Amino acid sequence: MSKISDSINYKNIACPFCSLHCDDIELDINDNKIHIKSDISASCKEKFEKNNSQTVNKVSPTVNGKASNFSNALKKAKQIVKNSNESVIMNASSDVNIAREMLTTSSKINGIYDHVNSATFLKNLSIFQRKGFMCTSLSEIKNKSDVIVLFSNSILKKYPRLTTRILAPENSFSINPKKKQIYIIGNKKNNIKDSSIKDSRITYIDFNNKDIPKLLDSLINKVNESRLSNKIFNNLAKSIDGSKYLSMIWATSEFMKYDTCDEIINNISDYVLSINETSRAACLTLAGNEGDASSVQTSGWLTGFPSRIKFTGDYFEYDRDLYNAESLIESNNIDLVIYINAISNKELSLNKKNKNIVIGHPSTKFNIEPHVFLPCGIPGIDYKGLIFRTDNVVTLPLSSIKIPTYRSVQEILRGITS
Amino acid sequence: MTTIHLKNGKVFDPTNRVFNKKKDVYIRDGKFVKSLKKKADQIIDCTDKIVMPGAIDLHTHIGGGKVNIARLMLQEFHNNSDRDYDLTADFVPSTLKTGLQYIGMGYTSCFEPALLPMNARQSHSEMADIPFVDKGGYALLGNDDYLLNLISRGAHQSEINDYVAFILKASQCIGIKVVNAGGINAFKFNQRALNVDEKSIRYKITPRKIVNVLARAVYELGVPHPLHVHCSNLGVPGNFKSTIETIKAAEGLPIHITHIQFHSYGDNGDRKFSSASAEITEYLNKVPNLTCDVGQVMFGQTVTMSGDSMTQHKNHKHAHPKKWLCMDIECDAGCGVVPFKYRDQSFVNALQWAIGLETFLLAEDAEKIFLTTDHPNGGPFTSYPHLIKLLMDKTFRDDLLARLAIDISEHTILKDIKREYTLSEIATMTRSAPAKILGLKNKGSLSDGVDADITVYDTRLSDIEDMFAHPSHVIKDGILVVENGKIKDYIWGKTQVVRPEYDPSIVKKLDKHFKKYNTIGLSNFVISNDEMSEVIGSDVNINDCVRKRIS
Repeated sequence: MSKISDSINYKNIACPFCSLHCDDIELDINDNKIHIKSDISASCKEKFEKNNSQTVNKVSPTVNGKASNFSNALKKAKQIVKNSNESVIMNASSDVNIAREMLTTSSKINGIYDHVNSATFLKNLSIFQRKGFMCTSLSEIKNKSDVIVLFSNSILKKYPRLTTRILAPENSFSINPKKKQIYIIGNKKNNIKDSSIKDSRITYIDFNNKDIPKLLDSLINKVNESRLSNKIFNNLAKSIDGSKYLSMIWATSEFMKYDTCDEIINNISDYVLSINETSRAACLTLAGNEGDASSVQTSGWLTGFPSRIKFTGDYFEYDRDLYNAESLIESNNIDLVIYINAISNKELSLNKKNKNIVIGHPSTKFNIEPHVFLPCGIPGIDYKGLIFRTDNVVTLPLSSIKIPTYRSVQEILRGITS
Repeated sequence: MTTIHLKNGKVFDPTNRVFNKKKDVYIRDGKFVKSLKKKADQIIDCTDKIVMPGAIDLHTHIGGGKVNIARLMLQEFHNNSDRDYDLTADFVPSTLKTGLQYIGMGYTSCFEPALLPMNARQSHSEMADIPFVDKGGYALLGNDDYLLNLISRGAHQSEINDYVAFILKASQCIGIKVVNAGGINAFKFNQRALNVDEKSIRYKITPRKIVNVLARAVYELGVPHPLHVHCSNLGVPGNFKSTIETIKAAEGLPIHITHIQFHSYGDNGDRKFSSASAEITEYLNKVPNLTCDVGQVMFGQTVTMSGDSMTQHKNHKHAHPKKWLCMDIECDAGCGVVPFKYRDQSFVNALQWAIGLETFLLAEDAEKIFLTTDHPNGGPFTSYPHLIKLLMDKTFRDDLLARLAIDISEHTILKDIKREYTLSEIATMTRSAPAKILGLKNKGSLSDGVDADITVYDTRLSDIEDMFAHPSHVIKDGILVVENGKIKDYIWGKTQVVRPEYDPSIVKKLDKHFKKYNTIGLSNFVISNDEMSEVIGSDVNINDCVRKRIS
């Protein structure tokens, strides 16, 4: 066991914060504080180093918004759980092992297991639950994809190293990386601003992604009925027609605001399927940064279902409508939500009409005070863990790099249900 | 110290040449022992019962990306109402149900045959959540760009051996499998078929070369399980010729052909689809160092899942229900998941069923053929008791053949085969032989010091299918986990692996490759023993390898 005063250098650490989970981070730990040595974006660096602040390391558990000690807060949480008739265990960000424990907890307390990003990832799953789907993973895109189309309004901000590590790498072994053609289609201003590199391989196209179906129709029919200029459209069409391995990438979360969301993702998928009749192409849907992929996969193998699972004691069942936690909360059909937020910085939106227990990392933000807040350690900072990357294929090991200040989610959940 | 005495049972222990012999069995601290000094803590009366070592399934898709895709794809089938708690479908059960159903049938070790090294953490995490059984995986090689590049540039066999040994260690596996050698990779470059002697466009090497190099690596490293081969041209009429050519590619070295039923098709007759089980089994019977598992087809709904994305993309047109997924994976391999319903009204499906049975029945040596349905590709593993009855009961088999919705009697010799498997042969093909071929010295027998995995069947159940489906007692690692057909205790098995030695210089080469081309670092690709036990959740057990050289 290392001491707080020890100075340790770590290489090849996987970042738990964005779902690319870049694993090339080098850092030093001095006095139990993290100092990033790798040349990574400021936003990535900040996510690690903010765990050094005294404020973050002195967060108390709270009961009804007032500071409490751990055992009192745990006792209160146990009491709330005991008195609950219908509870939701909401995954707001976790790794595999926390998801495992959450499902065990859901089973023990006969609760409903759901994830904050269910609405989005269920749309992705529905593609291959209804028809065919051809997909790919990050290394294939890096090494084999000669033409890449990324639909993005702010993806490059959410996944800061996507361009340098995957889309426009220095090295690819199956193709000449210098000849890659990368089209980033969406809010051009945002995309240029968020892209950390200037690269002649990248073409930014300003486009309202709500109209992707029209763009795809135009590409299929070879008649430009999109709002792109003919010059831009023809260049894009020519690249795609000449591609040997086309990748089409998007994050469904960006399309959720459009009434054409389902149409967009289905049309992209269908377009890719049609190309595969004679050439090669594949889709990549980028998972959210709230441990979506880890939750879906873990829940998948433990129950057969991705989320929205109700445990009854006698059996468990899935219903994407009936056990939609968001709807249940809004309609006051549950009396308790246990949020688990081990990684994400997204603010939790709590409903004051039901009881809320939050087990979250110390910087967790919420709109209203929960009835009980229990700070927890972060997998990848304080505790070892496993996390699925955005492509749902590679699972990265998360390291324990600091001496933890807080208990693990698993320990807290076991405490609540013991 | 816990001791168990199984008394008065009729013992089948093929490793020790014990067949149907009344014998007592003793267990102390999780191992078999010759005798106990004191009265046992637990005495199980095995009068009217058959005692066998725990069964071993050497080819069953139970954990990994493709299995989970299938689970999530086919939710509408998770309504299996005859089960209490977990309603997942038998052909894509949850991890919990997988363990419950295997142990409920007396299986105590199961092996995932298509573990992608890049997806190894997921596979092991899933398998760690399967209760009761020991498990293991065969690392998929032969479509990974790194190996194909090595072969293409004429790398020395010793470098390939080092790479193979490194992959076994890094991915915590017990064997090496090749699926459609080179074909999955070629599909990424838009090749739609790749025959045994056809060169891939990208690497200019043939499947024959890949199989040869890998069979040799596995042999020279002393990995007990021979190269596990899913041949080229799966499901293609006339493919028995390429199956034989694939066997020849090993040049006499040990080779295991998996789900051989799917690779034993002729192209004769009006329908250009015929059985070639006779040709294949003739080869099996005469060629030393050749083993196979069958991949028996069972009628009903299932899902096909394979690393063979080239074939699965072709097969998606037969999907039932009409949905499917194919994926290119990390310059490592691929996968394809296509749901399928085997119908006895279909000439092809009915003949597939017959071809599988012919293969079992024409194979002379129960040590060379293994009982599998290639779960879930041919059908769920829960159909094993039914399959055993088909093998042991000619009348039953003939009745089913006669009752098929389509008459295939002109196209199969099944009715003419008189053979009925004996209990001794069933014990061999499901216990001693798989343990031997996997190099599991501590499994598959009742020898002194071996892991006390044991299954007790009640002969008062007159129907053989019923007897194999419902053992009265199952003991795993010396713990009684099934008693009178009911789960008594939950335990968690280990992960069985091998660790052949390699020249550490391969690590430097791979590190360079990973840094330049991969999207994770080499150090995070490697799964350590500590990670297996502390984070993934399964301890590993290392089995011996003995290095060999081809003279």
